Amino acid sequence: MCPRNKEEKGRFLLVVGGSASGKSQFAESLAVSAPGKRYYIATMEPFGKEAQWRIARHRLLRENKGFETVERFWELGSLVLPQRGTALLECVTNLLANEIFSPEGAGEQGAVEAILQGIASLRRQCHLLVAVSGEVGLEPLSQYAPETRRYMGLLGKINREMAKQADEVWEVTCGVPICHKGGTR
Amino acid sequence: MILVIGGYAAGKKEYVRSLGYQDEDFTIDPREEKPVVWGLEALAAQAGEGWESLVPGLVEKEVVICQEVGSGVIPLEKEARQMREYTGRLCTALAERADRVVRLFCGIPTIIKE
Repeated sequence: MCPRNKEEKGRFLLVVGGSASGKSQFAESLAVSAPGKRYYIATMEPFGKEAQWRIARHRLLRENKGFETVERFWELGSLVLPQRGTALLECVTNLLANEIFSPEGAGEQGAVEAILQGIASLRRQCHLLVAVSGEVGLEPLSQYAPETRRYMGLLGKINREMAKQADEVWEVTCGVPICHKGGTR
Repeated sequence: MILVIGGYAAGKKEYVRSLGYQDEDFTIDPREEKPVVWGLEALAAQAGEGWESLVPGLVEKEVVICQEVGSGVIPLEKEARQMREYTGRLCTALAERADRVVRLFCGIPTIIKE
């Protein structure tokens, strides 16, 4: 048998939903269906009580599912995974906010490119990449500040681009997955 | 008429361009003689209680594009509440008369009525 090409891209599954839609749980179920080493790429900076509560909740959900947690708040492109396996990236919405608003981030101009490059780099290091992102554009724009609108526009752009590249695209609502592309489950 | 709906930046206009329409075919003013009207949510907000008067003109168009705006918490401000109401009602009325309704999600179209 030929050795697997190091540059070969892993399968890429995209899971998108509103807040508290059950997207994390569904994404985890996709990730644990693959054998081998599992990495959870956490993107939320543990600032404040609510962030800590969310992180604790997600840790509990993942308990005993064999994930090694890797924290990555920005610059996904330079992340090196120790082994080829499965990666669950959660969540692109945080990653984008960090890239735009954190001093360490790429800024508004470079954020989309930085994240898409990061996704491509992860795929080259994985058999399977599951990325979680959010749907935030289902409300009138008028209530948001200009910088928030720009954030929403950039998130939409990243989501569309990821969807183009993905092997499967899933929307999750009320915990129910709806397949928009490629799914066989 | 094709009604195209989806969230903000979901790829609605990109989809309509993929049907063969050019940038000069798009307008936000339904009185203009152009085949594609976009920004229905702004039109609905502008029309207010008179939203129903927009229906006959819009059903004659080839494509109407609207952002979905009704899936957030209903706001306290009356004006913001009404804008959602009128947009939703207008979309419903148009969907009823449309030959096809397409919903965009992350740039992927799904025909939800034909």
